[in-house]
Amino acid sequence: METVVRMGEASASSSAGDTLACIGLGSCIGLALVDRAKGVAALAHVMLPESSQPDPPQPHKFADLAVPALVDMVLAEGASRMRLEACLVGGAAMFQFGGSGQDIGQRNAQAVTKLLGEHRIPVRATATGGSKGRTIRVAVGNEMSITVREAGGSEEHLLGNVAAGKAALVA
Amino acid sequence: MTTFSDLQLDALRELANIGSGNAGTALGSMLGKSVDISVPTAAALPLAEAVAIAGAPDELRYGVVVPIVGDFEAIVVLLFPEEDAKRLCGIYGIEPSTPDGFSMLGEVGNILGTNYINVLAQMVGMELEPDPPQVVADMLGSILSTVLIGRGEDVEEALVLDSDLLVEDENCSLSFLLLPNHGGIKELLGRLGL
Repeated sequence: METVVRMGEASASSSAGDTLACIGLGSCIGLALVDRAKGVAALAHVMLPESSQPDPPQPHKFADLAVPALVDMVLAEGASRMRLEACLVGGAAMFQFGGSGQDIGQRNAQAVTKLLGEHRIPVRATATGGSKGRTIRVAVGNEMSITVREAGGSEEHLLGNVAAGKAALVA
Repeated sequence: MTTFSDLQLDALRELANIGSGNAGTALGSMLGKSVDISVPTAAALPLAEAVAIAGAPDELRYGVVVPIVGDFEAIVVLLFPEEDAKRLCGIYGIEPSTPDGFSMLGEVGNILGTNYINVLAQMVGMELEPDPPQVVADMLGSILSTVLIGRGEDVEEALVLDSDLLVEDENCSLSFLLLPNHGGIKELLGRLGL
């Protein structure tokens, strides 16, 4: 079953055959946390770098709250803290809106990366920046894979299962 | 959660009706073709739903974004399905995916946005002007989510004024969205005495 994770939402799964997806990311970040050995994954659709209030209705909107909340979600599905790895997709600069002049996509990517560093979660692959929208899909289970697709482009591989990773190392 | 009353949404719908009528007439005279306009909708939606207002998030769209600045801040977004963009640019023998195509779509955005905004400005006595249009070809979800987050404000819901325009002889339709920012809407409704 494919679960579409919409703006400000998050979802986790340990069921083989499930897919988690953020479709049409622009300046938002699709943040995937995975335990490949267990086949467990969680995906958040992060919109902004920082929360403006302590206890907002949608914590996954904000990088600073989404990262710890997503760690809890993926652990609750049976992931091991030690094996967690992250993938980041999105954070594009599609338009210039003047005003503050700050690139919200880049700030989102930086905020998520910083938070992952504080939680000591290694970032294994990223597809961020640029000016094109992207879709991230996480296939859950033993055949875990994370793919990214740009608008009008083809599906590209970001991260594979543990066995595939080992095979790549041997080769 | 909706922060707008039915009366306020009715008033905004009427403004959208007049604005898109004016914009459609201007586009019609530019193209020399008759342009039909649907009855607009005005709705305050949670962001995740606002993104889905014009179709599935992975559908490809040509998007023209026209920031509106002045007494009232808003963003005008035109969305063309690929085939419709081809038909519209085809009137001038242009392919939409080329620099000329982007320029043509940007000009359409300029004309529609300016004429929509001008009549709005006159009615409520505000100074408004459009910034230069920006054109992209991308996924619908990417375009709308990025526009809605725009300046990086933390908002729970978005007010969307949505009209559909149809260029009759060409069977070309496009969505016209006006996305006012929150402060702007309060100001606008205040001027209307609502």
